[in-house]
Amino acid sequence: MKPVLLIAINFAREQRWPILTLLLWVLLLAFLGLVTDIHREREDLLFVFKQDAVYVLAFSVFFGGSAIYNERRSRRILGVLSKAVGRQQYLSGLVLGVTIACAVYCFALGMTGSWTLGSASFPISHVWFLMVCLLAACALAGTVALMFSTFLNPFFAAGATAIVLGFPALAGHLLGPRWGLVIPVWELGATVINSSFDSPGSASWLVVGLAGAETVAFWLLSARIFAYVDIAVAVE
Amino acid sequence: MSFVLEFENVTKEYRSFASKRRLRALDSFSLAVEAGEIFGFLGPNGAGKSTAIHLAMGFMQPTSGNGRLLGESFGDPGARRRVGFLAESVALYHRRAERLVRFYGALNGMGGTQLDKRAREVLEIVGLQDHANRNAGKFSRGMLQRVGLAQAMVNDPELLILDEPTSALDPLARVMVRELLIGARNAGKTIFLSSHLLSEVELICDRVAMLHRGKLARLGRTTDLLQAGGRTEIIVRAIAPSHFEGAAARDGIVSFSVPTHGQRAALEKVWNLGGEVVSVNPVRRSLEEIFLEVTAEPLSPLSKGVQ
Ligand SMILES: Nc1ncnc2c1ncn2[C@@H]1O[C@H](COP(=O)(O)OP(=O)(O)OP(=O)(O)O)[C@@H](O)[C@H]1O
Ligand SMILES: [Mg+2]
Repeated sequence: MKPVLLIAINFAREQRWPILTLLLWVLLLAFLGLVTDIHREREDLLFVFKQDAVYVLAFSVFFGGSAIYNERRSRRILGVLSKAVGRQQYLSGLVLGVTIACAVYCFALGMTGSWTLGSASFPISHVWFLMVCLLAACALAGTVALMFSTFLNPFFAAGATAIVLGFPALAGHLLGPRWGLVIPVWELGATVINSSFDSPGSASWLVVGLAGAETVAFWLLSARIFAYVDIAVAVE
Repeated sequence: MSFVLEFENVTKEYRSFASKRRLRALDSFSLAVEAGEIFGFLGPNGAGKSTAIHLAMGFMQPTSGNGRLLGESFGDPGARRRVGFLAESVALYHRRAERLVRFYGALNGMGGTQLDKRAREVLEIVGLQDHANRNAGKFSRGMLQRVGLAQAMVNDPELLILDEPTSALDPLARVMVRELLIGARNAGKTIFLSSHLLSEVELICDRVAMLHRGKLARLGRTTDLLQAGGRTEIIVRAIAPSHFEGAAARDGIVSFSVPTHGQRAALEKVWNLGGEVVSVNPVRRSLEEIFLEVTAEPLSPLSKGVQ
């Protein structure tokens, strides 16, 4: 367990610049909260809040899809895997690292959201529920991207992830809402996007739990694939 | 006999993703490294040394064959806990050197004050104690190689696998590494060392293997290989050089070489002629000569077919 934590924290640390850049958007929300009349501009604030949520979702795919690639291209992966670290542990570290990176962001967004939207009579408990949905979506999206990146380069991995995550949305639209739950990233994202002051979101904890279970499934699958990958080979 | 590192008939082919071309980097390669020796792993660029090392570390899967590292199959994380590894191009995170060494130690399950102490100790061994708090991202290549060595030694490994560990080091640091390796061997550790510095290998390695185009071309004790010419050089005084074929004379000193098995007869002949023997020595070759000889050997038909 210790190596997994070390690798996760190290990953989040290595991603500190993208995370800090991303946090600038949260800062924008805070800034708007400071300089505008929160009650009158509450729709605009909610819009920025949702936009921030979409960014972190996109970044989770970016984090997940490029993690192994970057480590292999820089050859730093060799130093880590030359220690008593199994392939599964390494991959688990990355999954946890992506989740930590997104969690830091979600926490910051949750705090800022509680303050701005909360002051405009959006239930604070619901802000945090939306953040849990968002984090569950990020963890699942990042893990799917990580799985593809074990055998594809980041560009294709991101493309494949977009297809896999978008498919349930399309199927849900055409065949019935149950299909949306197959890989519920879209479903969870939509909960955040569709929330409003009148109806602050409707997803159930069940969907969050489902996302968690699927994250574990994709994580195990990627660990399985990664165990057979030649990591010392140059990356395309 | 206990082997700490074994390759059994290992073949590794690299396939490129786009084309169907295969490149056989290792070809039915077998080797066994004994406990407590410094083993030199030599061969020209592209011979397959790093490939073999990466297979042993579990970074890649062999195409066929297998091997064992400290008694476990290649890739076993438990075995790697007892191994120290330095890659040929050192790539480390951009952190302060001491933190970095602690990070790698912690990955190996170390911790607490023991790790702190050990991290400082190994940085001192590689001569970086004054730079322990500097960011390794700003280190020179030689300094990086030193940190790399420090992190390889942090867990006090039974087996050190070093891929060209002194390629970027200054002469002083090379001497330091040489003494370090000899010290480690005297403490019962095993060292598997890939290197292009033949004079250094000649000095410290108990055994060497030479790899050529993925195949084992030479293997043996360093002293045996260096004497393997099977000839003895005899230097004498007070006889005419014409008595011995190929003899050279200078200032009354005559030197010639004979096959080692004919050494006794040659000496008797010298005495019978009233000559005086100055010295008798086995003709020593250098690893460089052997290296050149190996690389001049033609390709075997097998490896030709694949390349
Ligand atoms: N990732 C890779 N993909 C394809 N071919 C590779 C790869 N790595 C090595 N090779 C090829 O395998 C052969 C052996 O390479 P290797 O790196 O093992 O040589 P080496 O003996 O370590 O050489 P050097 O002394 O230059 O370090 C070379 O022909 C090389 O081009
Ligand atoms: Mg090499």
